[in-house]
Amino acid sequence: MNKTAMLAVEHLSCGYGKTQVIQDLTFQIEAGERLCVLGPNGCGKTTLLRALAGVLPYQGYVEADGVSLCGLAPKQRAKKIALMSQFARTAFDYTVYEAVMLGRYAHRRETLFPAETAADREAVEDAMRRTGVWELREHSVMRLSGGQLQRVFLARAFAQEPKIILLDEPANHLDLRYQAELLESLRDWTSDKRRCVAGVFHDISLALAFADTVLLLEEGRALACGSVEELDEKLLDRLYGMDVRRYMKRMYGRWE
Amino acid sequence: MRTGVKTGLLFLTAFAALLLGIGVGSVYVPPGDILALAAGRMFDLPLPDHIPASYSAMVLDMRLPRVLLAFLTGAALAVCGAVMQSLLQNPLASPFGLGVSSGAGLGAAFVIVLGLASVGLGTFLLPAVSLMFALGTVFFVLLLAAKLDRRMSNVTVILVGMVISLFCNAVMSLLATGSPAHAQRIQLWQLGSFSMREWSAVWALGPVTVLVGLYFLRHAGELDVMTFGEEQAMSMGVDLRRVKGRLMTAVAVLTGTAVAFVGIIGFVDLIVPHIARRFFGAAHRRTLPACALLGGIFLVLCDLAARTLTPPHEIPIGSITALLGAPFFLYLFFAGRRDN
Repeated sequence: MNKTAMLAVEHLSCGYGKTQVIQDLTFQIEAGERLCVLGPNGCGKTTLLRALAGVLPYQGYVEADGVSLCGLAPKQRAKKIALMSQFARTAFDYTVYEAVMLGRYAHRRETLFPAETAADREAVEDAMRRTGVWELREHSVMRLSGGQLQRVFLARAFAQEPKIILLDEPANHLDLRYQAELLESLRDWTSDKRRCVAGVFHDISLALAFADTVLLLEEGRALACGSVEELDEKLLDRLYGMDVRRYMKRMYGRWE
Repeated sequence: MRTGVKTGLLFLTAFAALLLGIGVGSVYVPPGDILALAAGRMFDLPLPDHIPASYSAMVLDMRLPRVLLAFLTGAALAVCGAVMQSLLQNPLASPFGLGVSSGAGLGAAFVIVLGLASVGLGTFLLPAVSLMFALGTVFFVLLLAAKLDRRMSNVTVILVGMVISLFCNAVMSLLATGSPAHAQRIQLWQLGSFSMREWSAVWALGPVTVLVGLYFLRHAGELDVMTFGEEQAMSMGVDLRRVKGRLMTAVAVLTGTAVAFVGIIGFVDLIVPHIARRFFGAAHRRTLPACALLGGIFLVLCDLAARTLTPPHEIPIGSITALLGAPFFLYLFFAGRRDN
């Protein structure tokens, strides 16, 4: 196995009940890389992230930062991999600061009187400044806009101080400026060469602009995995069942 | 207001509510006299001349245990309500949704119908059997939910809890119809009462409330994480199935014990957590203790109203909590909405 692999996935299969969604998937992400997972609806993109994040049981072998995830305690796994879920929300009135501080859960011991350490506070402030939510720290999470909330959840993933961040449609419901800012802070985060990001996108152009590696998923199997520059567009056409280039030209032609 | 100040005020209010609850009754006993009586018993001091000697038994053996039982029940139900709302990420969730109350009710109905409630052991047989039934029902609900859905999703738990509750209630109605002589007693039990004013109930419920409360507090961090969704919680390192199972069992034990002694008292578990969150924020480290105090205060005052509004009759405590609770809750809810 390649020594610099930050995340190595071998023969991963998983699903719900008897239905196998991901079948015998093998790929890896190098340190410092940004991977995007592309594929049509229902191809298993979100399922893959859920398996990697410890939400869904799987068969196969996954190694993160040189450690096998199998048999790793939930907190230890959370120190390696964070998930920014598409559906995170709360019905209760936490402040933004409290919500981001929850990201430190994996680094704490649960006791009757836990204390926030200096390291906790530093990680939280750093995460909040990276995502531009430090000014909102006293606000209630229930009164934030969708874009602000998304950045709060990204800050929480940063505060978890993982090696790998998994993103499920991170740019959903965000207007252009927020999209750009969110992806910029992620790019900035991976510029430290000991981290990497894997994201699921349905916006192909956004994904290819953000990522340097691409994994094409077809019905739970890897159709291709490689650098974005060398991506064979014919595979995209096959994956989505349409002439992707022609469509993109028509969509974005007016901005040329 | 600073959290420290608010906490101080809450403790003072709790103390005042206890004194008020003990003092008001057929004869009024002022706070100073109550303290003198308590000190007299504890340190074996002579009583001041103006306090009749008979007051000692009335205040310390009848009113005090009753008020303490009300306080403990309020604290227990409110804390369990807060935990269930967070566990199920549902602001309307209640510990009774797991089948605690209907299970306990069924157990109590059996004891009453079989005529065992009035036998010598009755005073303890009734709570013991209803606690066993409550725990059995919750255990069955959780087992069935886990069987139907490996991930034990919240919707499954809520639905299974509801179905089993309705089933238990139906059996209870059958029992009541089958023996009309006992029907009224079953119905009254369901509305709750603190009239079992005995120290033994306080000694049973007190330690359970404190221990389970501390257990919840130890899991405050996990509860915080879980309110943001289970998928997130798992990815953030919470051992979800285990934590959820344990916390729900703890909820069942505490609500079951409370219900077994005083019957089913609704509304406290629902509204008190919302009030606590409004003043102390959502973080469980602050909300849970606030819930305990507020719930205790609320039930002591409700019990006071139940005893004094229509003498010599007592209004069932369950009706009072709903009568006072519903408008108060609506006010808080809508006043809060307007602010935002």
